[in-house]
Amino acid sequence: MESQSTKSTVLKVLAYVFCIVLSIIVLYPIVFVLSGAFSEGTSMASLNIIPFSNGFTTEHFVDIFESTDYPKWYVNTLLIAFGSCISTVFIACLGAYTFSRFRFTMKRSFMLAMLVLQIFPSFIGMVAIYVILERIGGIDTLWGLVLVYVAGNIPYNTWLVKSYLDTIPRSLDEAARIDGANHFTIFMRVVMPIAKPIVIFLAITTFTGPWMDYIMPKYVLRSPSNKTLAMGLFSFIDGKKGEFTNFSAGALLVAIPFIIFFALSQNMMVTSLGGAAVKE
Amino acid sequence: MGTSLQTDGSSRKNVLITSLLFMGLAHIVHFKQYVKGVFYALVEIIFLVCSPMLYDGIRKMVLLGKIREQYTYEVRAHEHFWLIEGMITLVIIGMFAVVYYISVRGALNTYREFCYEGKLKTNRESLSGTMGKSFPIFGLAPTFILIAFFVVVPLLFSACVAFTDFSLPYHYPPKNPINWVGFENFAAMFGGDATWTEAFGRVAVWTLIWGLVATLSSYFAGLFVAVILNEAKMKLTPVFRIIFILPYAVPSVISMLVWKNLLNGEFGTINAMIKEFGGTGFSWLTDKSILPNVMCLVVNLWAGFPYFMLLMMGTMTAISSDVFEAAKIDGANKWQIFKSITLPLVIYQTLPLMIMSFTFNINNFGAVYFLTGGGPALADTNRTFAGGTDILVTWIYKLTVDQMKYNYGAVLAILVFVVLAPFAIFNFMNTKSFKEGEL
Repeated sequence: MESQSTKSTVLKVLAYVFCIVLSIIVLYPIVFVLSGAFSEGTSMASLNIIPFSNGFTTEHFVDIFESTDYPKWYVNTLLIAFGSCISTVFIACLGAYTFSRFRFTMKRSFMLAMLVLQIFPSFIGMVAIYVILERIGGIDTLWGLVLVYVAGNIPYNTWLVKSYLDTIPRSLDEAARIDGANHFTIFMRVVMPIAKPIVIFLAITTFTGPWMDYIMPKYVLRSPSNKTLAMGLFSFIDGKKGEFTNFSAGALLVAIPFIIFFALSQNMMVTSLGGAAVKE
Repeated sequence: MGTSLQTDGSSRKNVLITSLLFMGLAHIVHFKQYVKGVFYALVEIIFLVCSPMLYDGIRKMVLLGKIREQYTYEVRAHEHFWLIEGMITLVIIGMFAVVYYISVRGALNTYREFCYEGKLKTNRESLSGTMGKSFPIFGLAPTFILIAFFVVVPLLFSACVAFTDFSLPYHYPPKNPINWVGFENFAAMFGGDATWTEAFGRVAVWTLIWGLVATLSSYFAGLFVAVILNEAKMKLTPVFRIIFILPYAVPSVISMLVWKNLLNGEFGTINAMIKEFGGTGFSWLTDKSILPNVMCLVVNLWAGFPYFMLLMMGTMTAISSDVFEAAKIDGANKWQIFKSITLPLVIYQTLPLMIMSFTFNINNFGAVYFLTGGGPALADTNRTFAGGTDILVTWIYKLTVDQMKYNYGAVLAILVFVVLAPFAIFNFMNTKSFKEGEL
């Protein structure tokens, strides 16, 4: 019995050691950015390897707000993220509801086509997207970019939501239909509330997408004031410009809301990730 | 005129011919569904009015460079638009064909109902029926329009470009014409042109290795960490869990750019650390060995294991405790329970996601482009633009966006499709609705 408990103590110590080492590896780059944002100097070469040993200043935050378009980039990215999130959720859910609850001509072909279409990264057809956007006046506008994102999001997400809706019993819709509700009311009042977990999951993934994308904004948005955060941050450390501290300050203001949000929603993400995707 | 129909089904041919003759004609003549009939007829009239434009669109697309002399310089400047407009035309014709098909089917269905009930529906009845039955049309209209113009047309376009010579510097409007060249680009890429073939082989092999190793390493690292957090019963488990989620929470562009700086050969922090201990440091991301490739995988592991860790922890907590109770009663020890119950269940449940993650990684542009930019430059990079860590998507990006060699970019895009389509179909066959035979 004694050897059993010694063994488990040893294992526990090993587990602690492993977790602490891993924490250091995981945290180092993040802490480095945190300290970089408050360090004096501009480039990475001027920074000491030990975080928070380069003095303390908030000038980089002042700098990015006063001498760059950073606030504008932030607002642009927020607008694009909200626009693409709301439109994707609505269109994908409506489509998924239709695919899940109706029988109609060519349904199978449509579904298979959507599945095949979601394989391609959207920049493959970028030249054509550009021309089409130009024809409808969407070049260098935020809504043009939102359209591209929504169209790219729809095929996969419609499938995802449809798989979830298939697990909701139809007896609920039928009860509502007997009470005289039309299809749209059933969709909004009956099906959507039950599908809340997958809707939230979809909202989160589509909201976070535009923050990380670089290719489409670079192609669609031309004027500096229409830039998004990914483009702007990249420009701080792109090529000859080595403004690592400004980059850190800007990155920090993006990462902090994300991290708080993930910390708060991690339990829900675990269930959604497990539930939504595995269930299929 | 509705009286001319027989209820025994013998007028089916009659209805079919009328409905084929002109869209909506059957609805007006036979069934007195004027609203629906006029709507369909309007669609066809608009289509016919536009048909000269549609014809012109197709003609320009088919002939391309051959007819450029007939046009002014301004029109010629947009020769590649001809291809795209041709595609749009094809999609519009396709949509028209679908509406036509639906109208004929609708007429035949109405006739079947007429045979069954012996009388025609009143206009109001048929309209309210239409509202209910046509919900799929309204529900899917936004989806279809967006997908048709922003997904299908662009993809058809790039599929076509693979068979043209559209590229800088010699085949780029307005100075030079674009021509159809058949399979020339494919031939050059797969054997015809030694430099391109070699570059292609290198990139393809690395893309596959990258996809496999990136997925497997993240998957098993995530599993390992999840098991330790779950089984070790540490007091600090919740703290560790939040720390380990961080790489997943930070937008990947940011974390990749930070790593790019940390690993920089001249001023990077990692090298500064090594120098503190007396080493000389490495050019992590620019060395001409496989070091940059390894670093891509390592950084990807840093960014990728939290997702799987979250996933595994979710699945582990979802396993019913009855199973464990039963195993304990049967005298199984902790290791046996883990090995024979937890592990197989978790792997079984997360396997489909591993496959999805593989397809995601094959297309994982950011993980390579923001870290190494596809570099380092190799011997053939001057000509092919493919660096040492370029995967297919980043190469396509460079070829189309930076170099405007659209023809080769398109050939590679088709290839990505060929590689990934089986996985998409596998995912499709795995869905509940497919297994239950609903689709």
